[in-house]
Amino acid sequence: MLTATRTLLALSLPLAFAGCAQLQPDAGLGQVQQEMQTRLPAAALPALAWDKGSATAEQRRAQVQALLDEPLTADTAVRIALLNNGELQARFAELGLADADRVIASRLPNPALILARQVQGASVEIDRSFLFDLLSLFTLPARRDIATRRYQESQLATAAAVMALATETRKAWYDAVAAAQTSRYLTQVKEAADAAAELARNMANVGNMSRRDALQEQAFYAEAAAQREEAQAAETAARERLIRLMGLWGQQTAFQLPERLPDLPRHPEQRSEVEAIAMRDRLDVLMAKREIEGLAKSLGLTRATRYVNVLEVGYLNNSFNDQPRQTGAEVGLLLPLFDWGEARNARAEALYLQALARTRDLASRARSQAREAYVRYRTAYDLAEAYRKVIVPLRKQIGEENLLRYNGMLISVFELLSDSRAQILSVNAAIQAQRDYWKADADLQNALAGASPRFDALSLARPAQSASSH
Amino acid sequence: MNRRQFFTHSGVGLLGAGLISRAAAAALPEAASADSAATQIPVAPPNGRPFHPVITLNGWSLPWRMKNSVKEFHLIAEPVVREIAPGMVAHLWGYNGQSPGPTIEVVEGDRVRVFVTNKLPEPTTIHWHGQILPNGMDGVGGLTQPQIPPGKTYVYEFIARHAGTYMYHPHADEMVQMAMGMMGFWVTHPKDPNTMRVDRDFVFLTNAYDIEPGAYTPKVNTMLDFNLWTWNSRAFPGIDPLVCRLGDKVRIRMGNLTMTNHPIHLHGHRFVVAGTDGGWIAPAARWPEVTVDIAVGQMRAIEFTADNPGDWAFHCHKAHHTMNAMGHQVPTMIGVDQQKVAEKISRLIPGYMTMGSTGMSEMSQMQMPLPPNTLPMMTGEGPYGPIEMGGMFSVVKVRRDQKPGDYSDPGWYQQPPGTQAYEWLGELQPAPRAAAGRARPGDMEMRVKRNGHAH
Repeated sequence: MLTATRTLLALSLPLAFAGCAQLQPDAGLGQVQQEMQTRLPAAALPALAWDKGSATAEQRRAQVQALLDEPLTADTAVRIALLNNGELQARFAELGLADADRVIASRLPNPALILARQVQGASVEIDRSFLFDLLSLFTLPARRDIATRRYQESQLATAAAVMALATETRKAWYDAVAAAQTSRYLTQVKEAADAAAELARNMANVGNMSRRDALQEQAFYAEAAAQREEAQAAETAARERLIRLMGLWGQQTAFQLPERLPDLPRHPEQRSEVEAIAMRDRLDVLMAKREIEGLAKSLGLTRATRYVNVLEVGYLNNSFNDQPRQTGAEVGLLLPLFDWGEARNARAEALYLQALARTRDLASRARSQAREAYVRYRTAYDLAEAYRKVIVPLRKQIGEENLLRYNGMLISVFELLSDSRAQILSVNAAIQAQRDYWKADADLQNALAGASPRFDALSLARPAQSASSH
Repeated sequence: MNRRQFFTHSGVGLLGAGLISRAAAAALPEAASADSAATQIPVAPPNGRPFHPVITLNGWSLPWRMKNSVKEFHLIAEPVVREIAPGMVAHLWGYNGQSPGPTIEVVEGDRVRVFVTNKLPEPTTIHWHGQILPNGMDGVGGLTQPQIPPGKTYVYEFIARHAGTYMYHPHADEMVQMAMGMMGFWVTHPKDPNTMRVDRDFVFLTNAYDIEPGAYTPKVNTMLDFNLWTWNSRAFPGIDPLVCRLGDKVRIRMGNLTMTNHPIHLHGHRFVVAGTDGGWIAPAARWPEVTVDIAVGQMRAIEFTADNPGDWAFHCHKAHHTMNAMGHQVPTMIGVDQQKVAEKISRLIPGYMTMGSTGMSEMSQMQMPLPPNTLPMMTGEGPYGPIEMGGMFSVVKVRRDQKPGDYSDPGWYQQPPGTQAYEWLGELQPAPRAAAGRARPGDMEMRVKRNGHAH
């Protein structure tokens, strides 16, 4: 009886320590939402929700449908992806797991009560042991801290995944709009070649052009038609990638994209402190900081347990039916304190140094990526501006001059048509430069406030990779 | 003569020229300059031996001064802006403000001193084409004199020995300087002004330029494919008419400084070829023509009596020389159905119009915007419609009531009733137009290809 009383007492103790940990509502997406508010435009950021039941799914479908009814902007595409992308939902579930781990780590392991009855001939030995991880009691705050940090890291990882998906979706939207534009322009190139070929046929028919020259125009036309086919396939591919990122299917895929990419801003973003911004805002940098803190604490924890690596307190009651009951507490150490402790400490140090080195590497990479992304962004801006302000107007002027020469019968209609092809192709090159600007812009935002592509590989590997191979 | 001797000799010659130059440098004659391409009717010579001045088409004659019985002229070689025709100017090199330079008129036996100041960026000389003069005055750079460096003035001095028709042009970087328009006319009048006297004596040089439509400066490296065929650096409709009074004895002297020959054709008259740059042809040896071919570097003087009133075309008979800049590579569109394809092209090229399906005369009927500084390929508006000409084309206008010595344009000729081609208004036999024909066996195959090509 006395034993039973003691056991109850022992069980009540840890519960008094651990009683405060609770699961977060929605796995704590609220914090992720908060992190994203400074990183994404309001129009692109929906209320992030972990889709756990048919009610929320229905609500989400309705939201997505409402967005799809309007011509899709880059922001609404991102919004849809963040609402609807299945892989992101899987990432949310991972956050849920981390939250659960955190709660579990905040509780003491349940004591173990073992009853063993051993029969040795006539003698029956009943072995009752009540096992309780005493150390857990002492290490509980530390482990709770670790799990909490892990959970917070998971929140940052989730935020990085949101950022990565937003970036990829945005880029896919630019690709899809530009590919449709290109497809339309190459249709015009085909029409120009078609006109030239038809004229050449008419001329050959009345004897004004040799068969060779007419065939040349036909060949031009056939090539232009083939190029248009390719452009149409590319348009489909770009649109499908956007569809995949937004997690759409069936009727949902009939959404409308705008006719053209948005104009460039009047001035490019002037950022002199890209590296500092990256160090302050990048989610992978923030994560690495947390990890380092965690490992430091972990090292401290190991020191505290250096001498009591695993300390188990067990209550043993061996009762032999023919011997007096032995009663008492059994204190056991599985391995020698000293050696194991040394090893443990060295391991923690190695882990800590490893994390430090990785953090250092990450920091230098992040800074480099920020610089590169900024230079790419500025270059893309200048290039797109050069096309818009210089190259395309020049081509247009040349076209106007050529028309004047055609008027004066100084050049032929074939030269006019081939010049018109060149003009259209320069407009197409301008669209691609414009697209590249917007993609560079998305990459810059991600490089400054998101995470490195290598980090993305952990969370949203597939879209990121297919983007780079595109 | 070896190289050393050659230079020694020319050095001696130069010493003499240098002395002349220094003697005259104290007082250079004034260099007159013309600022327009209008024909300037010269007045009778104020001093020196008398002569009947010539009319330089769209040009002028250079004034001189008499100094100790020497006729002194001052030519300035310099970059000029020449109006080729209203609507187009060319950046040329010339003399005294224009290209070609002013006509130099002297009298047989005159001692002539010509100061030549070089305001070009490169050395030049002047060669007095056709003149019989001392070798050191012949103006061949390197051969008979050193080139005149930029900024320097050289003096040429010789006696105009033979009455006749001459020209002057550089003989230093000659190809470039002539392609840039450096040339001028020279007339040596007979001592007796009544010798071979005519009432109107017109002169011009034929020249050719290759100026890219929309550009101003000739392409100096073009050898044959010029796009502007000009008389005195003017193209129709920029060439003044040759105005005559009915019954006038008329002389037209022409020199060819282009790279090809020009068969110059006059309507409504028969003329005789009266002279070359080699001199006058004995009257008995002159032969009648209505077209005179002037080879490269040649001069011809033709004479006729303007006995047929009217507006008479006068032009190079090479049809492409009576066109302004044109695209020689533009394919023939005659007979080609362009209507359907025109819609397709118009969608791509706003402002596009089909042309050439029925020929090119629509070119002169429609006023289409052209590149800047570009003359229409064919142009000119006559009393009865477009004249559809360009280049080396002008009109000899013979009028009964034109006053002697009056060169002003009398306007269009009014044909007396019953003397103009007229439309037949009687009964017409149906005259179906020829169908656009298939000419070659290969066409059948072409048609098969067309049908098989779906788009």
